[in-house]
Order: sequence, then C-alpha cells, then structure tokens
Amino acid sequence: MRTEQTLAQLAATTRRHFLTTGSLGLGSLALASMSGVDLQAADAAYEEPFAPRPAHFVPKVKNVILLSMSGGPPHLDLFDYKPELVRRTGEDCPQSLIEGKAFAFTGGTPKLLGTPHAFRQHGDSGAWLSAALPRLAGLADELTFVKSLATDQFNHGPAELLLLTGIPRTAGRPSMGAWATYGLGSENRDLPGFVVFVSGGALPSSGKAGWGSGFLPSVYQGVQCRTGGDPILYLSNPEGMDRALRRASLDALRDLNTLRPEELVHTETASRIAQYELAYRMQSVVPELMDLSNEPGHILEEYGAQPGAASFSNNCLLARRLVESGVRFVQLSDWGWDFHGNQANEDIGDVLVQRCAAMDRAVSALIVDLKRRALLDETLVVWVGEFGRTPFREGRTAGGPWLGRDHHPFSNTMFMAGGGLKPGVTYGSTDELGFHVAEKPVHPHDLQATILHLLGLDHTRLTYRFQGRDFRLTDVAGHVLHDILA
Amino acid sequence: MRPVRPAVLSLFAFAGGLTAGGFLIAADRAEVDYTRDIRPLLANACYQCHGPDDAAREAGLRLDRFDGAAGELPSGERAIVPGDAGASGLLARITASDPDVVMPPPHSGKSLSPREVELLRRWIDSGAPYAVHWSFVPPARPVRPEVSHPGWGVNPIDDFVLARLDREGLQPAPEADRHTLLRRVSIDLTGLPPTPEEVALFVNDRSPDAYGQAVDRLLAKSAYGERWAALWLDLARYGDSAGYIHDPLRSIWRWRDWLIEALNRNLPYDEFSRDMLAGDLLPDATTEQIIATGFHRNTTTNTEGGSNAAEYHYAAVVDRVNTTFEVWMGVTMACAQCHNHKYDPFTQRDYYQIVAIFNSQEDFNSETPARDVPRVGRDAEFADRAARLEAAQQTFDAATAAADAAQPEWESAVDRDALPPEVVEAIAVAVEERTPQHLERIRNHHRTTREDWRTADEALKAARAARDEVGTTAMVMREVDPRPTHVFIRGDFRSPAEPVQPGVPAALHAAAAEEAFNRLALARWLFAPENPLTARVAVNRMWQELFGIGLVETAEEFGAQGELPSHPELLDWLATEYVRLGWDTKRLLKTIVMSRTYRQASQGEPEQVAADPYNRLLARGPRVRLSAEQLRDQALAVSGLLSPKLYGPPVHPHQPTNGLAAAFGSSTDWETSRGEDRYRRALYTQWRRNLPYPSMVAFDVPERAVCSTRRIRTNTPVQALVTLNDPVFVEAAQALARRILTGDAESTEARAALALETVLARPATAGETQRIVELCETTRAALGERSAEAELLATRPLGPLPEGVDSVEAAAWTVVANVLLNLDEALMKR
Repeated sequence: MRTEQTLAQLAATTRRHFLTTGSLGLGSLALASMSGVDLQAADAAYEEPFAPRPAHFVPKVKNVILLSMSGGPPHLDLFDYKPELVRRTGEDCPQSLIEGKAFAFTGGTPKLLGTPHAFRQHGDSGAWLSAALPRLAGLADELTFVKSLATDQFNHGPAELLLLTGIPRTAGRPSMGAWATYGLGSENRDLPGFVVFVSGGALPSSGKAGWGSGFLPSVYQGVQCRTGGDPILYLSNPEGMDRALRRASLDALRDLNTLRPEELVHTETASRIAQYELAYRMQSVVPELMDLSNEPGHILEEYGAQPGAASFSNNCLLARRLVESGVRFVQLSDWGWDFHGNQANEDIGDVLVQRCAAMDRAVSALIVDLKRRALLDETLVVWVGEFGRTPFREGRTAGGPWLGRDHHPFSNTMFMAGGGLKPGVTYGSTDELGFHVAEKPVHPHDLQATILHLLGLDHTRLTYRFQGRDFRLTDVAGHVLHDILA
Repeated sequence: MRPVRPAVLSLFAFAGGLTAGGFLIAADRAEVDYTRDIRPLLANACYQCHGPDDAAREAGLRLDRFDGAAGELPSGERAIVPGDAGASGLLARITASDPDVVMPPPHSGKSLSPREVELLRRWIDSGAPYAVHWSFVPPARPVRPEVSHPGWGVNPIDDFVLARLDREGLQPAPEADRHTLLRRVSIDLTGLPPTPEEVALFVNDRSPDAYGQAVDRLLAKSAYGERWAALWLDLARYGDSAGYIHDPLRSIWRWRDWLIEALNRNLPYDEFSRDMLAGDLLPDATTEQIIATGFHRNTTTNTEGGSNAAEYHYAAVVDRVNTTFEVWMGVTMACAQCHNHKYDPFTQRDYYQIVAIFNSQEDFNSETPARDVPRVGRDAEFADRAARLEAAQQTFDAATAAADAAQPEWESAVDRDALPPEVVEAIAVAVEERTPQHLERIRNHHRTTREDWRTADEALKAARAARDEVGTTAMVMREVDPRPTHVFIRGDFRSPAEPVQPGVPAALHAAAAEEAFNRLALARWLFAPENPLTARVAVNRMWQELFGIGLVETAEEFGAQGELPSHPELLDWLATEYVRLGWDTKRLLKTIVMSRTYRQASQGEPEQVAADPYNRLLARGPRVRLSAEQLRDQALAVSGLLSPKLYGPPVHPHQPTNGLAAAFGSSTDWETSRGEDRYRRALYTQWRRNLPYPSMVAFDVPERAVCSTRRIRTNTPVQALVTLNDPVFVEAAQALARRILTGDAESTEARAALALETVLARPATAGETQRIVELCETTRAALGERSAEAELLATRPLGPLPEGVDSVEAAAWTVVANVLLNLDEALMKR
C-alpha cells in the first residue's frame, strides 16, 4: 500500500513532468516505477500501436507512397505498346478473346482500337512509354514496370477494394496501409502512421474502405488529410482561441485530472492525459508540415504545386514531406482515370495527354526529389490503377466523337520505383493485342505480398485474429515477385 | 503472430503481448484441464491439418476427437497412447529436432513452447481425457458456491464473483459513492448522465430501496431504448446508404425506430429476435413485425454498371448467414464458406444449408422490396392519410384523363404565340412526327392550363406530404419461391457443386420437424431449450456493455478459437436466469446492476489494478471510456442542448465540409440540420457507409460493413482534438457557459462549482473549484482587451448571446466548460 505522501509526490512529479517535457511516455514509465507496480504486469494492459516494431526480416524500405490512380488508366495508351493492335484498329475484336466474358459497358463484337499516341523506347533499359508521359520517360531507368497485372474484377469498386484491401467486397477488411502500420508502427509519434490524400474531386471508388482499418483497431485507419480547411479534422482551436489560451486551458485540464493522483494508477487515464499533449503538438507540427509556402520556388515548380491549392501535384509534394518526417504509409488517391469516351474529358486522345501532364510532372518530380534527398532508397513509390482498359473501343461510345475504352480486368501495367527493386526492369508481358497476360501473370495479392516483403513483412505471417480466424491482407494467396527485387 | 486484441489501446503506453484472457487463465491454474489447457493448444497448432476438416486432413490423423487421436493410424503409429506419453507419437513429433519430422512443421509458422509440450505430456499421462467444447454443452443451473462472506452478496452473481476472489485471496471493493453510482448506472442504462434533479432525488433518498427505485426509473425512460439500440446498430451493420461506389442513400431508419421502440417495450429477447429474423413469416404478421425484418436488409447492394447481381446477392446472403450465427450463436460460420471449419464441427455443407434458408427472399442485389409504413405510434393517422392520398390520387387521375381528352381541341384553338418557346417548338411538329419528348412537353403544358388539374395536382402533393409526415418507406424481407442452392467450391459463386436443402449444422441440436425449414424455423431453432449458445452469447454481450469486457472476452466467438470464460459458472447462471425470466431483458439487466459486484467502487488498489488491468477478476467496479454516442449525448445533455425527440429520419449534425462526392455519386457533404434536429442523440446521425460521421469513427464506431459484436476502444490524440475542437463540442461548451451564467450562482466560485457539478454529476472539491476559478480569471484577463475574439469564442457556432450576457464572461466560461467536458472523469464511466 502506498501512503498519502507518495501519492502526493506522485502527483507533483507527474505534473512537473508533463510541464517540462510534455512527453508522457516517460511520465508514465516513471509513474509505474514509482508506484512500485510490477511493470511487467502493467505492460500487459497496453500495447503502443504506433511504436516502431521489428519487421519479420531486414526491410528494404521504411516507407511506402501508394499512388492509387482511381478509375483505371488506359495502360495501352501509356505503357503497353501494341503495334499489332494499332495495325488492326477498326477490325472486329476476335470472338475467341471475348467469348464468355462480361464487360461493364460492352456487348456484341466491339472494334479493336490501337493507341493514337506515339510510343518510343527510353533509357538504357529501352522501356516503352507513350508521348503522353515525357518526364516519366526520362526516368525510365529508375522505374520497374509490371506489364502483366491482372485482376478478377471489372467494376471499379470491387477492383479497387481487391487492390487495396485484398478482397473485392466491402467486408470490413483492413487496407494495405493499415496492415503496414499495424505490422511496423510508425517512426514519428507526432503524426499519424498512415496518411491519405484525395484528389480529383471525388472519393475513390472504394470509398473510405480503401484506407479503412477494417477489423484492426481504428488507430490504424488512414488519416485523410484535407487540402482545404483543417489538414486533419478538428486540428484548429475554436474561433477566438489562440495558442496561449489553448495552453492555459490544457494546463488547467491536466491539473484537474491530476488532482486525484490515485486515478493515475489506471494507465488509460495517464495515457489520455498524454494524448492531449500530443494533440497540442500536432496542432503546431501538422499545419507547418502541410504548408507548402515554405518550399522553395524551384521545388514547387518541379512538382507543379501551388501553395493552398487542392491538387494531386500538391499531394505528391506533401507525400515527400511526410515520408521525410517518418510517416510510414502515404496513399494518394487520384480520381478521374476512367476513360470511357462518354464525354469530352474521357477521350484517350489529346485529353489524356492533358490529364497526364500534371501527373507526369508531379510523379517524376517526386521520384527525382526523393532520390536527391537520399530517400528513394528507403521509400517505395507504387503507381497503379484498379484495372487496365480494353484493347477495343467501349461499346456504348463506339459511334461517338470521343475515343474510349471499357474496364479491362485481364491485363494492366503498373510501375514502382524505390528501394529494394531492380530499376529499369520490365516484368511480364501481354499478347500481341494487349488482351491477355502472355507471361508471368501478377495478381493484386502478389503485388501486396511484394510491397509487404519490401517493408520486411512476410505476408503469410502478418495476421490478425478476427471472428476466430487469422486473417491476412493476401487472403490465402499471394507470391512475392522475387524477379523484380534487387 | 499471436493475435493481440487488448480491450484498450493507447498511443503511447507500453509494448506487451498477453491477452487479458491469457493473463487470467494463467492466474487460475490447478491441474491440466482439456477445455482450458489442451483444446486451445491443439486447435491452434494442429487442427489446420489434423482437425475436423476431412478434406485438409494429413496422415489420416484427427486430434479433435479421442477415437481419432488414440486410434491406430494408416502408418501403424498411434498419436496418443492414453496414460503413456512416452509411447505417444504426438509427443515424439512435437519434441523432435529434425525439421522434417518435428510438428508443427516449421513452414506452418506455428510452434509449441516447452510449457505447452509439458502440458500435453501431463495430459496424455493422465489418460488424455477429451471433453466436448464447453460452449456446445447446454448450460446447467450452477449451484451457488461457498463464499467467505455470505452476507456480502445481494444475488448469486456476487457469490460467483466472490468465490473467485476468495480463491485469488482478494477482497471486493467497497460500494461506490452515490453520485458515482448514479452516473454509472444512468450511463449504462440510458446512455445519458443523470440530471441534477435525478441526482438530488437519489442522493437524498434514504429508503433502503433507493437504488432499486432509481434503476426502475432509468429502465422506464425512453432513453433506455435509444442507448441499447446503439449496440444493435453495430450488430446489424446498420447504415443509411447502400454502399459500394455510388453509395446512394436508402430509407431503412424505420427499422432503427422499431428497434428503439421494441427495446423500450421490453419485447422478450426470443420474440425480439424472431421478429427481426422472420417477422414476415408469422401468421397474421403485424406491420411492426414486418418492419422488424429490416434487420437483414442492412446488407449492401452494388448498382455499378455491369455488376453481376448474382455475385452481390450471394455476398448479401453470406453476410446474413454469418451475421445470424455471430449475433445469436457466437460462432464463426464464415470459416465454413470455403471449406469445412478447421476448428469447430461445421462442414461446408452445413454452411450452404444455412445459405439455402437465406436464398428464398425477394431482394436480389436490390433496394426492394420496401413498403410504406406508419412512423412509430402513428398508425391511425397513417391509415387516415393514406386513404386521403388514395382519394387524391383518384381525383388527380380523373383530372389528368379529362385534360388529355380535351387536349386536341385545345391544341387547335390555342394562341400559339402565347405559349412558352419549347411548347411552340413541339406543337409545330406534325402530329405523326412528334417524339415522346414533344408529346410530353405539350401534354404537361396543357394540363397546367386547366384549373381542375392544377387543384388536383396540388391536392395530391399535399396529401403525399401529409402522409409522409406520419409514414415512411421501410426495407423489409419478403419470401419467394426458394432459389436452388448449391455448395460453392471454395466459396466461389461461379463454381457450384452439389445442391443442398435448408437445414442446420448436423453437429448441433436437431431442429424440430418443420414443413419448410425457413427463417421462422431457424429462429425457433435458435431459441430451442437445448441450444447451448443463444442465452450465453446474449448475457455475455450485456455483461460486456456494462463492464467493458465480456465474461467471454471474444464475444463474437464462443467456438474453439474463442477465449474461455473468466467465470464459467456465473455465465451459466446468467444464461439460465435469462431463460427463467422468460428472456426479460430489463429484468436481467436490473439483476446485474443491482449486484454488489456492479456497485463496487472502480478506483481499485494500485497493486490490484496493475495485476488485473482489465478487471477480469471483478475486484472493483467497471471503469470504461464512454462510447462515441455517449460522449456526444453527454455533452449535449449537460449543456442543455439535447433534443428529447424520439425517432425519425436520420439527422445532420455539424460535420466538416469534405468537398468530395462519392465516386459517381452525390456529395458526401450535407447541410447541417436546423432547429432541434441539430441536437439529437448520436444514434440518429446519418450513417453514410463510404464516409461515416468522422467524430464517431474517431471514437471507435465500426465501419458497419459487417456485423460487429464489440468495439476495440482506442485512445488517441485525434480523439482529444474532437472533444476539444469539434464545433459540436465547442457549441456544447458555449451552451453550458450560458447555462452557468444565467443560473442562480453568482460568484465565480459558486459558478465554478456548479459547472463541475453539472458535468460530473457530483459536488466539486475546494481544490477543483479553485483551479477552475484560476482558469476563468486567466481567460478573462487574456480576452479582456480582445472583445472580437471573445465574441467569436462565445458565439461560434451557437449564435448570439442572450440579452445582458457579457461576451468576455461568456467566452471565459466557454473555455472552462470546454475543459470540463474534456476531464478524464467526464470521458469515463467510473
């Protein structure tokens, strides 16, 4: 039993500790040791969700920037060059390819559609890229392409859910970023471990589930940072309250909470007091981090970013800043890659080039910037859409003024850059019409296994028990793509 | 990785790996017990290949049954020789060092610790006794145990708890003081803190049954139904939108209102459950019973172009199977969707027999069927207004027919120059060449030129609006001819195997002979007296809601993979008591909250708290952070803003603008509700599946994509930001400040004490009062010269101050109230 004196001492020490360091991690340790409580026993009550945790094996990268190009970018007009398809433009799509298959908006026999864009090989690696991506073309030797990505979903929502959560349904499964932060924690305790930015004016097709925590504790969900208003919800003090007044009120809150020191034996209470100090620090750290006006002009220019704007370009620059600050997983969702040809802004001709311009510039700048700062070796940049687009013209719009393609689950191209990868490599290929994967098929589960592998996590061992079963991101599948690893 | 599901997660505390259950069981160990020690160990390490699933079985060995484990294997070996561990193949394999021989195999990622090997050795040496998994044996009424202080307890709950404390050498805590106790029980039963009048009534009531009467008053309040409905919204994966890419809004809130009303009416749990599962199948089903079936219409639908309706229909059916078994049976049937269950005796065929029960409803990836129904308690008005609507419709139809009949004549006579341009354009087209659009334009215009039609049209709109005021549309279940159901290979709806008929798992109790085994038969089977699980699962969930953690920690899983109960006899006593009381939920809740166990102070001795941080031994009272709903409701209640309005369409409290639409869908932003709808209890807040209400998500409300039996409580800085800065909480602080300033207290000291008492439902101490006064003075001084800031702080977003209230004073008390609403004590039930 402790005496009144030790309790009073405890309160005083605790209060002093909060005042001087604002850090409660140590405060609580001190608390537990002073109170003579067996630390082992007390420890069992809590787990620190964001404490850095050891990987399963030596990681190749510390952080991931996932560029989720929502809508399904037309890979045949950007990466997967098919001269035979160009040659046969306007011919009927061979029955053998479409027989027994369902497409989202195409029935009957559609017409083949070769790309209207010029393709050229780039760099020592000789990677093919279209003229729509001039800057990424210049980085061809830094990039690792996968040209044989095939999914099993032809609708946006399910395909994106499969890509990001490992299952094509809204079934309460954690997203990739949630799994990564659950497995590894985060390097920066003043910031969330998993941050999400959304551009393109709409939520992605998978909604919030694409960065949800599913059955994992909610701390692992992606924190959606906004480009207008508070970057993190409720970060700003109420109107009329300045930082000094917030400090004064938090001091009073802490004093009132510690007036009864016996309450502090409950670690949850001591922990909560700490959360308020952490929140206070976030109030100054986060806006500073999100404020691009302190970036040099040439950097803004490289990315095409404008302080205060809401854009994918800004988000790419913010992603670099967050990774630099130790955020584990940054996900950029960019809506607007659904090129059906239904309307002028869905045309795979000039409109696609315009749509690509900002993306091409920002993603290239991101890779160059990370490399310049020696961050590319410890960061994985992943560029991927939920599915590819058909080698034929979309059925509904076949007679219209705009060229468009339907959703295509059977093949797709993605690329990655960063630590642990063989740069300048192209993995897998499609047939001469770009319809099916010809060699080395890659499923979203394989991609997920590979991303986790680069983070030092074995996808078969990163499990969480829910409803009596050990679940994992890759369900019961997934193979690491060892051929593309350095 | 060993799963870790602590009841509380904090952002900064310490690393650790024990589950609360693990800690507890270790603490109560005597001899080797199959259920407690051996089965979980075999299930984890061995069942994957040597369990109930004959498709996955290796070497012909099954370890989940005595005959399988002790019999001779195809290889001639015997895994277990009862009484002789040394001769048992199992022990040889688990202790082997050769990686090709050792079990479990290294590639499985599973391994046994030396302690576990020792447990297995002792168990085999003692004859390897098997037992049926505890939860599959129906509960028997346990005998009241001998205890050290027979006078302590007020009901058998206390005896079971005290018996355990006696074994641990612990003492129960003294009773909580009256203020604390009333706040605790008020929050538990109604989700709201007590009003000052309720506090005064209880604290001053010195009659022996003062507490019992307070409990009765709480159980009689309509707030009771609202509080317990929140639990059912999680279980039912309730949402106000359909999900997936468009995430359109849907009208299913009438089911939520049914829930509140049914809980308040204390509909016995068996009937309550039966109505939700199969109300529509009852003979002469009432409207309320049909509305109740909305429970299983909370599954999502996908309307994205080209979606295969069969795929999403199957997903919904699977969800209904899994949800039904999780909610009522506490077993994860989901495991048997793709293969035979690895741990529990359920086959894949069993699974699809249940699928067949849920494969004969009309909805097929659709928002229909739905029906027009009265709002709660508005039946007579609804019937009346529906009849008026019907009459108005007839008048309208007649007026329309008359107008259309007169149209050719009108057309030939009308002055075309006086018509709107688009009508002129249409009328200029030769009659035989007019498109449907042309015809419609002309017809619509012509109708509006006739006074009788305009009158009928307005009357119809008014009649519809009048009916909708007292009615709404509710999604319901409707039975159709059964669709053929097959076992789907690996759970894939594109790979049908043999056909199956509706039925229940063969390993569980048999169903009564029924003509057609439909949802109603399933509901009866769930409540059959020989069902071992339904009552246990239900009482465990109630216990969890009150104590923060169930007697079985894994409230969703009572099968082999679940945790064992901390107090098995107590669980069984509660289960049998619930049945004995005729599934009377309020009476069972009263029994629990009347117990000494529940009424203990929650403070706890430091050593005891450290040794048992989750309070699994129940040597102190419950101490749990308020839920997301309770936090909002409390802030509104103590500030005087809370609307007492029951029921109705979902409301839109303040929500930060997101500026985003759902992909292909409507905006996810909303206009804040006006009037009292802005201050309704949290459960009425619209739940958009693709972007649920952010402050509630921050406080651990699950996404509600699937059934959720318990919330994992977290402790994060984002939560602090919510209760400090969310305009909802700022507004509450402003209202509380005005309440204090316009009340009877005049001095700063008196106001400080009153403010704290209002929030915490207990008197302030001198030290607290002094510190609040200090903050008030600091704030006054800081804002004294800055009236513009003070004005903002006191009025945004609540609005202009009442006459005679000074803005600096109001701002200072807003700051105080903001602090008080963030006190640890305010955020906790304790």
